[in-house]
Formats: sequence, C-alpha cells, structure tokens
Amino acid sequence: MKRILVVVSLLVVASLVLTACGGAPKAANHLEAIKQAGVIKVGTSADYPPFESVDANGNKVGFDIELMTEIAKRLGVKLEWVDMPFDSLIAAVQEGKIDASISAFNYSEERDQTIDFSDAYYTSEDAFTVADGFAGTIAKPEDVAAYKVGVQTGTTQDTWLTDLVNAGTLPEANLFRYDRADQAMADLKNGRIEVVMSDKVPAEALAKQLGGLKIAYSGVLSSGPMNIVIPNGDVELQKAINEIIKQLQDEGFIDQLAVKYFAE
Amino acid sequence: MFSNFVSYIIQGTAITVAVTLVALPFGLVIGLLMALLHTYGGKAINRLAAAYSLLMRGVPPIVLLFILYFILSGEINLSPFWAGSLSLGIVSSAYQMEILRGALLAVGGGQMTAARAVGMSRLQAIRYIVLPQALRIAIPPWSNEASIVLKDSSLVYALGVPEILRRAQQLSATTQQPFLAFGTAALIYFVLVFATNRGLDYLSERTKLPTHP
Repeated sequence: MKRILVVVSLLVVASLVLTACGGAPKAANHLEAIKQAGVIKVGTSADYPPFESVDANGNKVGFDIELMTEIAKRLGVKLEWVDMPFDSLIAAVQEGKIDASISAFNYSEERDQTIDFSDAYYTSEDAFTVADGFAGTIAKPEDVAAYKVGVQTGTTQDTWLTDLVNAGTLPEANLFRYDRADQAMADLKNGRIEVVMSDKVPAEALAKQLGGLKIAYSGVLSSGPMNIVIPNGDVELQKAINEIIKQLQDEGFIDQLAVKYFAE
Repeated sequence: MFSNFVSYIIQGTAITVAVTLVALPFGLVIGLLMALLHTYGGKAINRLAAAYSLLMRGVPPIVLLFILYFILSGEINLSPFWAGSLSLGIVSSAYQMEILRGALLAVGGGQMTAARAVGMSRLQAIRYIVLPQALRIAIPPWSNEASIVLKDSSLVYALGVPEILRRAQQLSATTQQPFLAFGTAALIYFVLVFATNRGLDYLSERTKLPTHP
C-alpha cells in the first residue's frame, strides 16, 4: 500500500516538474525566437499523399515535406515535424503550439482572419472524383448539387460545398464530411456517396491507388494557391519564408518537386 | 513493407501505455482526494466535490482535451503529450472519485465510530481502518475504469500525439489498407486491455477481504 502511494506520488511530481519546464524566455520577435532555439516546429497532417504522408518506415514524405525541409535549411534552423489531424492545425498555429504549418493549405478569407499566409508556393485545382460507372453528368461545378457528395472536414472544398448547402441547392443530408480524404474516397468506391470533392493532385493519386475511380471535372473553384500558415501578424517570419519561396521558385526547385510528386 | 508498417503501429503502443500510465495515477490521486473530501468533508467541501464530479463527468473527454490544450495552454506551455495525458487524468479522476466514494461508503460508518471509540483521530481512522479496506473493495470496479482510460488514450491523437490510432490512420492513408491498419490497432488495444484486466483480477484476488468474499 505504502509503496503504491510512493510510486503514484512520484509519478505525479515528475509530471508536474516536466510540465513546468516547458516555458522559454521570450525573444524580440517570433523569427528571432525560432533562430535562438535553432528549431522551427512545423505542423502537418501526414495523411494526404502526395503532399504529406508517412512511408513504410514511418518517415514523413511528400511535396510539402521536402519543400519545408529546404525552407528550414535556408532559414538555418532544424526542422521538427508535429503531426496532427488537419482540422487541429490552424488552432495549433493560433495558440503558438507550432511555429508554422504546411499541409496543402489554400488561402481563404475565413482562415486569414485568425492566421496569416505566406506567398503561394503552388497552385492547385479542385476535382470531382466519381466511380467509373457513374451515370450522371457534371458539366459545370454546380451540377454536383444533384448528387451525394463527400469532402474532407475543414478544407476549402468543405467551405465551397457548405456555401451550396446554404444557398439551398445542395441538400444538407447529401453532404458527407470525412476526417480524411482517403476515407471519402473509400466510401466513394464502396458506393455510399457519388462524388468526392478534393484537391486535384491527391484525387488523381488516390483514384490511381484505389482503382475504379475517375475525375469527372476539375478546375479552380475553392482552391488555388497553396500557402504556408504562419501566426497572425508575424511579419518577420512571413517575410523570411516568402523570400525563400521566391528563391526556390527562381531556381526551379519547386517545379522539380512538382514533377517528382505530381508527374506534371 | 507491411511488416514495417505493422511495426510502425506497434511503436505507438509505448506512447499509448505512457499516456495511460500518466492519466490513471494522476486521476487516482485527485479522485481519492475528492472522494475523501466528499465523504468526510464539511457541507461546503462536500458540495464542491460533488460539483467537480458532476462537471467533469458531464463533459466529453475530447472537449476537455481541446480546452486544456488550445485554450488554457496560453498560460502554461504544455506539450501535446502532457496536455493529453493530464486532461485524460482529470476526466478519469471524476469517475475514480465515484468508484472510491462507493468503496468508502461500503466500509460502513460503524467502523469509523468504533475506531473513534478506541481513541483514534478521524485521520487515523481513515488512514488505518477505512482506506485499507476501501481500496481493496475498489479494485474490481476500478479495473473497468483502467480499461476505459486505456481505450480513451486514443483521443490524444487529436492533439498530434503519435499513438496507436494516429499511426493507423496515417498508414491507412498511405497504403489504402484500412482493414489492415485499424485491425492491427484493434488487436493491440485488445491485448493491452486484456492484460490490464487480468493483472487487476489477480491483484483483487490476492488482496481480497475476508469480509467481502
């Protein structure tokens, strides 16, 4: 009995001590603080190939991963990945849990109110993916309102479809939200939904991987430029990252990455 | 490739176990304190403890997790692991409090009266007469709570702690083999819960009171 109590209280004390050690002195600004620490903590949701995923050994791989690795290198700091579900990322940047986030984020006004964006590093299109045997037609984007549509929660596509719901064209009951894009695609393949709206590049990758799926329509609807998410009003970090993105574009580094991951 | 993937999920087991090993004892300490206050405290303390229990049991663990991590952590810089583990511990403390309170009451008021009659102080009576019995009585219901906390530890994935569930999700996304990924996760959870329950059954058998067969 006594021994158990001792062990338990030791655990509690240890946890409190470890918790208290988390704090660090504040530097002049965020960028300085990152450089002082020598580490930039970047959040991503590693379940969205080919932008970010894990390989057989649990290493993070993908377009965003390689790009951010290069950016950190040029900032002169080490890169520490923090993996979390997509819809936790923006809150984590807001609360200073992570220094920045790269996870195929598209610019949106809503998001811009609580966080800031870097310049675009890549421009993406949206795609409507359907099963091979799909009998309907999607001639223009709004046609999608006639079907059962799946989407990943918290994405710009989610916002775009929610607008259709609010406008009264897409019945609320026909919009299915998923935690991750691959769940939506799996449900599409199983016939539970008829269309999935997502970024085009991962849609192509998933369609190829799962088989029996095709892209019925693609174009810039909700998405467009992809940006790195940084804390609101953090002009120093924004400027530093923007300069590096510009360099990487000029050097053709980003184009090479696009060829490597998207086979453009 | 698959064996690599499976071993990647299994590596998350250590984190799941660590989260549980922080949450469960943390909840036990708070729960025990609250149960004692609720049972032996004055009127005001009693009400306070009851309110704590009501509030903590009335909020889904994931909500409390997000509140602690995203809202309160402006003050204290909690890492996802500690924020997740401690919030799970706080949620669990309310349930453990009720389990322990039941056990304290099961010992019966007569023993306290008898202990006082032979000249023990209230604290002595609690420490040497009531608690040793109550803790033994509490083991079987407590083992339920242990397995619940173990399974609830999967919630910390939402904060980015790479435990079993989060790893299974990543692999499901990479390989498009959800059954393999989540099946592996399910199996690991089952083994962990099974082992925990058997261990506690054994402990309960060894420490059984003659008065509570």
